[in-house]
Amino acid sequence: MDCGDRARARQHVFLLPEYLKDASKKMKSGLLFVKLVNPCSGEGTIYLFNMCLQQLFEIKVFKEKHHSWFINQSVQSGGLLHFATPMDPLFLLLHYLRKADKEGTFQPLDQVVVDDMFPNCILLLKLPDLEKLLRHVTEEKEIDKKKYYKYSKEKTIKWLEKKVRQTVSALKTNNINVSARVQAATFFFGDPVSSDKEEDYIRYAHGLISDYIPKELSDDLSKYLKLPEPSASLPNPPSKKVKLSDEPVEAKEDYTKFNRKDLKTEKKNSKMTAAQKALAKVDKSGMKSIDSFFGTKNKKVGKI
Amino acid sequence: MDLSELDRDSTGRCRLSSPVPAVCRKEPCVLGVDEAGRGPVLGPMVYAICYCPLSRLADLEALKVADSKTLSESERDRLFVKIEEDGDFVGWALDVLSPNLISTSMLGRVKYNLNSLSHDTATGLVQYALDQGVKVAQVFVDTVGPPETYQERLQERFPGIEVTVKAKADALYPVVSAASICAKVARDQAVKNWHFVETLQDLDADYGSGYPNDPKTKAWLRKHVEPVFGFPQFVRFSWRTAQSILEKEAEGVLWEDSATGHQEGPGRIMSYFSKGPQTHPHLPHRYFQERGLESATTL
Amino acid sequence: MESSDEKTVEKCRVHLRPGTLHDAALATLHLLPCEVLVSGPAPVERFFTPAMRQGPDGLEVSFRGRGLRGEEVVVPPGLVGYVMAMEEKGEMLVGKDFSEDSWNDEREEQELAEPPEALERDFDQFIGATASFSRFTLWGLETIPGPDAKVRGALTWPSLAAAIHAQVPED
Repeated sequence: MDCGDRARARQHVFLLPEYLKDASKKMKSGLLFVKLVNPCSGEGTIYLFNMCLQQLFEIKVFKEKHHSWFINQSVQSGGLLHFATPMDPLFLLLHYLRKADKEGTFQPLDQVVVDDMFPNCILLLKLPDLEKLLRHVTEEKEIDKKKYYKYSKEKTIKWLEKKVRQTVSALKTNNINVSARVQAATFFFGDPVSSDKEEDYIRYAHGLISDYIPKELSDDLSKYLKLPEPSASLPNPPSKKVKLSDEPVEAKEDYTKFNRKDLKTEKKNSKMTAAQKALAKVDKSGMKSIDSFFGTKNKKVGKI
Repeated sequence: MDLSELDRDSTGRCRLSSPVPAVCRKEPCVLGVDEAGRGPVLGPMVYAICYCPLSRLADLEALKVADSKTLSESERDRLFVKIEEDGDFVGWALDVLSPNLISTSMLGRVKYNLNSLSHDTATGLVQYALDQGVKVAQVFVDTVGPPETYQERLQERFPGIEVTVKAKADALYPVVSAASICAKVARDQAVKNWHFVETLQDLDADYGSGYPNDPKTKAWLRKHVEPVFGFPQFVRFSWRTAQSILEKEAEGVLWEDSATGHQEGPGRIMSYFSKGPQTHPHLPHRYFQERGLESATTL
Repeated sequence: MESSDEKTVEKCRVHLRPGTLHDAALATLHLLPCEVLVSGPAPVERFFTPAMRQGPDGLEVSFRGRGLRGEEVVVPPGLVGYVMAMEEKGEMLVGKDFSEDSWNDEREEQELAEPPEALERDFDQFIGATASFSRFTLWGLETIPGPDAKVRGALTWPSLAAAIHAQVPED
């Protein structure tokens, strides 16, 4: 498997922050795409580093069935549109801090941020003001002018709550519709639909933030925010299962890409509608040759 | 015949008409409807009406108009000139439906078949004559489909007019023959002077009769397949001949309403879901799902 | 459960050539409402562009005999559109083995200490912008995509992302 002719001919359509263009004038290099572990799903996900601006970017891709691009005098199948947006590196660092916390000791950051699978995680250590950032989620000690860190769940939850708050206000200024979906509303039979609008915003913001943290932390945050258990208020509608099996057509995604642990532990039945919707959306049947460039140089790893 | 409007834009439809003879606004008239170019896979379809006062029908017959199919091209051209010369009592109007209009109608999400398109066009032309003040008393229509339902519908639409829909009406009624000549002359001229929307290289003008069973036409179609765009808009994409050539010789294109190739979903996912709704993989938040966004895992 | 020798190491870096971001010429882009099952050259200028018409409510064109309706979409302020393509160079190194642990360790230490040039390793890949854009034409099948088009929703992501990822105030 490598990036063969088809892959090379592929054109990627991106939207980048304009300031990257300005910053690039002074750069000869230092803009790099790498694969790092996604702190929510655990799967390899692409991020962009700007080593000159010392900034991390997340890459989201718009992917809807039945699209293609005409780009000048060419056609590009798939119709993908990539977005690079600045990302808080703390979400990625948290993954390693929590992992290291299993040892229960204070450790220097360069011993925490290590990854056999995603060695490029060391680039995170080059980002600026890490000490300041880490204060939000760790206890720290200084010995011989070297800093040692230990994950603090309490601090992390407080930090995440602030994230939720600032997301809530952005949701409001951006006029995002956060109310329970029409489809979902029918399942609130007895319950009055969202008596508290503010709660809808918080739940929505919590959901967004949850896409950047592991499930366990998301559940803890939910409790801290006193969000009602969604599974309690949303009985699982059996009709949906029927609908799903009516539509084998849509089920073409390769689910091996999802973290298998999630398969076993996930239990928020309130999300079934979303699950089915997404199933329909992530069909990649038309995308002929999406072999990752990031897969091309991979090798089987022996013991490291 | 001045088809310059079609030359300017051959992507839609255009209407052409003679001035309305003054007598046709005073006396009850007979009006014929016929079409040309319904069958070909190439070029436009033309619907035409021709009309004259009932009192002058004998004068129209004297022109020796006949079913356009039995006439040579030069005879048709000559007869059309005569019809024009008799513009003091004979009027005509026609609609040129571009192949692009035919393709997009027939291939629409809501299929608009050729019969409906034809009927609506014919109805539109009769209405146009009425709107111009022509005192239409009788209408004769040539048809390829079953005449009964068509006649019923037209009669219902124009209750004050005596409607006759008949197969081979173009051979039976001189006013329909005259309409068929107008239609055929327009179609021939449109095809001969077709203004291709596309910038084509090595365009071969020898496309035969344009009928799908003509080997010359088929060869032309094969020669002009473009792998991504298919054919120039001169071709009716909705014709089976055109589609089967595209299936073999052009790249595949999937639309949200195409009903192809979705049968073989991997059973693995279904079996996973049939385990029950309690388990499912991580899915992005609804904000992302509603916007078709997901984290990029490949470049 | 998963032994490390069954997984692959994601060590590749794809370097985006900074210079290409300000050299990139403007391109014309159309987002079609269909999947063309091929990527490559296509005579858009000869077949598609000349068939576009300004209709009473938006742009009109047809593709493969199907009617399309379109509208201009402007890239949100603060963003620039780029078309990028991989460079072929890195190809030669496929299969080169980097398995010695010592090599890795040494290399990683170097990276920490050195200027950005060391970010490039000989097995890395390069990508460059081949064109830029500030607008594109969004086509819908027979209807104008309109404000409810998913891609329009997607375009609002950067402004929300900025809020989610902004640093939180200190205590």
